[in-house]
Amino acid sequence: MKVYAFKQADLEKWVKSWTSTHKVYRAATQKSETCGAHAGWTEMTDGTMPPCGPAKSSVKTFYFPQPETMATFSAKKEDPDGLLMENQETPEEKQIVFGVRPCDGRSVELNNLPYVDDPFYQANRERTILVGFSCTEQKATCFCTQTGGSPYGTEGLDVALSQVGDVFLAEIITDKAAELVDNGDGLTEASESEIAELTSLRQAVEENPGHDESLKAKEMTALHGAPFWDKVAESCLNCGACTFLCPTCYCFDIQDEVVRGQGKRIRYWDSCMFPLYTLHTTGHNPRGKKVQRVRNRFMHKLKYFPDRFGPFSCVGCGRCIQECPVNIDIREVMVDLLAVK
Amino acid sequence: MTNQTSWEPKIIAFLCTWCSYAGADLAGVSRFQYPPNIRIVKVPCSGRVSANMILSALKSGADGVLISGCHPGDCHYISGNYFARRRFGLFSNLLDFVGIEPGRVNFSWISASEGEQFAEVVKTVTERVKKLGPATRLVKKQSVQVDRL
Amino acid sequence: MPTINETITQEIRAKAKELLESKEVAAFLGFCQGSLPMTTRPFVARSPEEADKLVWNSFCVLNPANYLPELLKSLEPPRGPRDPAPEGPLPKAALLATGCWSRNIAIQIKENQLDRDRVVIVGIASRGMVDQRKIRARFPDQEILKVEEQDHKLKVSGQNFEEEINRWDMVRGNCLTCLHPDPVMLDVRIGAAGQERKNDTPFQQVDEIKNKSTDERWQWFQDEFASCIRCYACRNACPLCYCDTCFVDDSKPQWVGKSIDPVDTGLFHILRAYHCAGRCTDCGACESVCPMDINMRILTKKLSMDVLALYGSEAGMDPEAPLPLSTYKTDDPQDFILSESGAAKEGI
Repeated sequence: MKVYAFKQADLEKWVKSWTSTHKVYRAATQKSETCGAHAGWTEMTDGTMPPCGPAKSSVKTFYFPQPETMATFSAKKEDPDGLLMENQETPEEKQIVFGVRPCDGRSVELNNLPYVDDPFYQANRERTILVGFSCTEQKATCFCTQTGGSPYGTEGLDVALSQVGDVFLAEIITDKAAELVDNGDGLTEASESEIAELTSLRQAVEENPGHDESLKAKEMTALHGAPFWDKVAESCLNCGACTFLCPTCYCFDIQDEVVRGQGKRIRYWDSCMFPLYTLHTTGHNPRGKKVQRVRNRFMHKLKYFPDRFGPFSCVGCGRCIQECPVNIDIREVMVDLLAVK
Repeated sequence: MTNQTSWEPKIIAFLCTWCSYAGADLAGVSRFQYPPNIRIVKVPCSGRVSANMILSALKSGADGVLISGCHPGDCHYISGNYFARRRFGLFSNLLDFVGIEPGRVNFSWISASEGEQFAEVVKTVTERVKKLGPATRLVKKQSVQVDRL
Repeated sequence: MPTINETITQEIRAKAKELLESKEVAAFLGFCQGSLPMTTRPFVARSPEEADKLVWNSFCVLNPANYLPELLKSLEPPRGPRDPAPEGPLPKAALLATGCWSRNIAIQIKENQLDRDRVVIVGIASRGMVDQRKIRARFPDQEILKVEEQDHKLKVSGQNFEEEINRWDMVRGNCLTCLHPDPVMLDVRIGAAGQERKNDTPFQQVDEIKNKSTDERWQWFQDEFASCIRCYACRNACPLCYCDTCFVDDSKPQWVGKSIDPVDTGLFHILRAYHCAGRCTDCGACESVCPMDINMRILTKKLSMDVLALYGSEAGMDPEAPLPLSTYKTDDPQDFILSESGAAKEGI
């Protein structure tokens, strides 16, 4: 792995140089900046550094767009091929997402576990270069270290930028990112002392206390039947703010939309907070009550997913804590779950 | 895209069955000429027409919408159009507020005996919509752009 | 000296204890402290001990009336859909109500969502709730770790800063233009009675947009709603939204597409606002809960303005009067009708 060192001005110049060949996205800082398909993100024209903390919207929009067209068809009566589905070609255009925090980078890896055979997710992964930015400071809502992540983590990232003193180090992690380097001409490789400093910063991060292991050891029915769920659910509005902002919520629903005789099959984000999510055609709803839906969201992230795949389906970005209209705090739920005998 | 000269607007007309639809019938029987741009949807009462239906028409690509019912006081169901009038009053203001061009969505009262007035209103609405050009706001786009149907 | 809100908090706790101890109510709906600065959580105290968690401050931005019908149902003894209603009086719930919230309760009663006899309204004159977005915008590059409240000042602090700001400057837009801070109906009063406020331009926020051209308004609408993620927090925080199946969930016909196509998002917001016409009390919950900071309240505000101008009523102000859209006058204004406005003859 190559590591390059930059002064801030040079780094900004380097980042800006990508905009001539790639679509480069950064988090929108203003509501009016938001760009069509990716709410909360905007196309980048300069090389400005991202502000502290995770972006308001997660990077999942680039891998799991809302909506994603899966197939197209004609719904015209006179069309001989009417209603015949044509597979949508997966997009190939390269894109760069800049300033991604390590938590978001890690979410791409975590979502890859269930989506390993999903052609759309994989195609988007193939064409997206994630340029991460290590966190020198954490927000009050950040808890990545409790979920197995790190503010200096590189999981899921193609390039990891870190600030060490007044120097920025760029670790080129994947082959995909190599094209950003242009054979490395004009870039300065980092010195060994700089790399050593980054390594020590990385190692100084507290060890993961391994909550996932202790929750895995607990009886599922005991966690499921714990009495505190009623209290958690009581204030919940059952909106989808947490799920839609969450980088590791990956549920979708599929629908056919027909516009003036032209149909497309889209998949769009769904939320286990919505009653419709589990509604059967018979009218029966196995998760008809709010408490059941709230419980499912947390149990999925903290118990079902780890039981099946290993890690928590949570990267500790804190978006749900920050933006929950009624301040339901997943950290408190974790504490409650750990207290269950 | 659309050639301005050959473009003819499509206008969805929600007509109440008791007055305005009968008015349209009379216009036909009496051979009053009116533009062929309207597509009539017969509804039991103007009170049946909800905002959802009006917006659905726009979403699906109608260039204009006309909603017509009995004159106030003449409703077959006594008060349906009185309720409708309150709702439409607020709704047309709200559409204007969010920037839907005035003239896209039109309301009128036409009785069963007003065949000539019906033809007149359709002419006015068609001219209004023609002047505005093809609808673009709140019109759902197709995934692949094709010529308008 | 305790601040006004601290005194009110103490009074709320005492009243809640009294009501719960005497078993007059089975539940007391209010707010408890959140885990982050500038947050509160809607909270139901079911025992006198729990009453000590109740708080009152400038960040009680949700509308408790939203939880009331469901809470009352949960207090009823369980029964099947065809079982007869249990005999005797059903358990009651108490809730906090400011001006706008009490008007929502009036509307819920009018719409048969609530039984007045089962509700104890604990009225508080609102001093206006604070918009945490405004505070965050005031300190754009800093993380706010603590906000201490005094009567007219807010002490905002973070890692390397501490600043006192004027509370009223941070009050939510809907509270700034509110004319009726005092509850329209109440059973118990906490704190001092509020005065009707005077404001010559209560719809200034609407007028600013209304004065733009049609094209500018359309652009404004597009920009404002572009970042909507369709989480429906605005809908779910609203005490007026209680349909079993919302129009957005209908699939035959599908009024609104399910993804974040700008047309679908726009239709959702227009229709959501329109469904609140004549019923919205401008409590501001929709706007306060939006994770993407969208000002959808302006649409319902516009409708309130028109309802007042055209039909002369304000939602929930008169608990006895019918709702404006479930009544009519034979001489209601109808300038928008083609054949009546003379437009038909203008030949435009």
